[in-house]
Amino acid sequence: MERYSRQVRVTGIGEAGQQRLAQSRVLIVGCGALGTHLADALVRAGVGELVLVDRDIVEWSNLQRQVLFSEADAKAGTPKAIAAATRLREANSEVRILPHVADCSAAFLDELPGTLSLVLDGTDNFRTRYLLNDWCGRQRVPWIYGGAVGSEGAAMVMLPGGPCLRCLWPEPPAHTDVGNCETAGILAPTIAAVTAFQVAEALKLLVGHASTRGVFTCDVWRGSYSVLPLAQHPAADCPACSRREFPALHSAPHEAVTLCGRDAVQVDPGSSALDLTALHLRLLPVATDVMRTPHLLRFAADGCRFSVFPGGRALLFGVRDPLRARALYDRWIGGL
Amino acid sequence: MIYLDHAATSFPKSPAVLAAMQRWFADVGVSASRGSGTRCQLAAAETRAARQGLARLLGCPATRIAFVSGATEGLNLALRALLRDGDRVLTTAFEHSSVVRPLRALQRERNLQIEIVPPAADGSLPLAAVRTALQTFRPQLLVFTHASNVTGACFDAAALCSLAREGGATTLLDASQTIGLVECNVGADVVVASTHKALGSPPGLGFVAALTRELTPQKQGGTGHSRALEDHPNTWPEAFEAGTPNTPAIFGLAAAFHPQNHKTAAQRLAASLEPLVSLSERLATMPHVRCLLPNTEQRVPVLSLVHAQYDCAELGAMLAAQDLHVRTGHHCAPWLHAHLGTDTTGTVRISTGTCTTAADIDAVVAFFASL
Repeated sequence: MERYSRQVRVTGIGEAGQQRLAQSRVLIVGCGALGTHLADALVRAGVGELVLVDRDIVEWSNLQRQVLFSEADAKAGTPKAIAAATRLREANSEVRILPHVADCSAAFLDELPGTLSLVLDGTDNFRTRYLLNDWCGRQRVPWIYGGAVGSEGAAMVMLPGGPCLRCLWPEPPAHTDVGNCETAGILAPTIAAVTAFQVAEALKLLVGHASTRGVFTCDVWRGSYSVLPLAQHPAADCPACSRREFPALHSAPHEAVTLCGRDAVQVDPGSSALDLTALHLRLLPVATDVMRTPHLLRFAADGCRFSVFPGGRALLFGVRDPLRARALYDRWIGGL
Repeated sequence: MIYLDHAATSFPKSPAVLAAMQRWFADVGVSASRGSGTRCQLAAAETRAARQGLARLLGCPATRIAFVSGATEGLNLALRALLRDGDRVLTTAFEHSSVVRPLRALQRERNLQIEIVPPAADGSLPLAAVRTALQTFRPQLLVFTHASNVTGACFDAAALCSLAREGGATTLLDASQTIGLVECNVGADVVVASTHKALGSPPGLGFVAALTRELTPQKQGGTGHSRALEDHPNTWPEAFEAGTPNTPAIFGLAAAFHPQNHKTAAQRLAASLEPLVSLSERLATMPHVRCLLPNTEQRVPVLSLVHAQYDCAELGAMLAAQDLHVRTGHHCAPWLHAHLGTDTTGTVRISTGTCTTAADIDAVVAFFASL
């Protein structure tokens, strides 16, 4: 166990803790900046099994902060989960790594075999976070939220029994209310700060140590780091904690259909109150060829041309793969 | 919903068709030749009536008409039965995938030579080019659609069949877009069509009519006849109807032929074409709309258009948001769009039926006017 000798020496881990780590089974949802930092740390720390899920491919704009990817991955457009798994196996061949190139849907989570010790949030959208919240709530699996935009980040441990994400915010925020890495940018140290909290809490949880309660927030540009205290009990009106209702488990994922004979995919989020004007304003500084007509909003980004309609339906030209289209949709239009 | 996709399937189906199907589900439940007794006789009578209705349209004995699951199955059956190794096939750029794809598969299996007659610049099918190809290419088979499911161009099938006969070629007519709308007794050797478009049956039903050629069954199974025999029968139409028939759909089709519901092809064509002509006239005045109108004597109620400022897929999404059900894309006609200049985008296709109203057309016009 020379590999883990320095970690074992830390009070709170020890040989017993290391053995518990080796028996653990962790799911990381999203292999972007958060996900790759989380995966790298947990694989090096010696978890038993790591399940990775991400639907997207490696792009040049990822290399600035997504640590497991190389220029060769960006050139080849390798799926992130696959590229990450390859690098992780090089770092620690003792860990069983199971990559999935897929949408993280309720069905996907339900079909995962075995029991998970922990779920780590490496996603970039609230739709998936609420799904994780509700699925973990129902399954009584702990999960650790993490989010980062610009120089600001937040993270929180969600234990079975609450409080959960819905105790804080019963419904996901409207996607026009929250910035994302495309519109607000992202600094690599923000990722490092958020994942440092997430990984430390993950290790504590996996070895059986009590978790930090409260919301970790940081602004790495300002140099402020704090944990906001939080009620120890779930909110009385939380649908998930108090009534065991998990609405995100019943919401269908975006329907994405490749158009017959076209290099295009139609993504239909179902019912959605997308504000085209707000989206227009948000995209103006970051997308190209932005054009608004009374009927639609057109723009170009990531080598793809988008036509977005009131209600949220969108056509993505220059894409054939529905998974890729859903990823681009969530990235540029919103994950709700 | 305003339904303008009658070239795919007619909707809604008439109350008489629904009632006939309901009657099968509630009171009959069996198929012709599957047992004896009154219910079986009822099923046999309706099946006979449906076959006779088609026979009147095609000018052939009812026994030469076999029911199949649709035009796709019928065309596969006919092409496989008619074509031998090394045969030459003449066809047109207007064909549907249900001709194109079996032909391409058979081309590999049976070393076919295929020649495709391109459309004339005005969107018609040039008879002279067909005549020349029949003389120089000497095909064993001419397979052609009676009308384009993209532009609505309707071809002179009688003249084409007559040319083919002079040239010694067998004719296989795909009448899916015309049966029940246009005269289909045109001297073709074999006719295939679905019955759920103008004829108004439910989907899942079509026919193969072999007027002058023998065909070999392409599948074997139970027919309800000659049960004791191990070998599949070779008599029409049972030989081609192996397996449990789609009797509820056949009841629906028989209802469409019932005297009190019956309309002539000319009546159906007039009723469904009138709103389409009005639509194309009104759209023609709009600056960015380009209707792909064929210059043919006969037309079926199908209109394709493109817009200078909006991609067809965008138009499709916008029309769908207004509950206007039309089709966008290539309409399963892989060879045609290169000739129309619509290969990359496809078209918006609007197809009307007998129940299309002036208000439906107003809604489409209002949509394009709002762009």
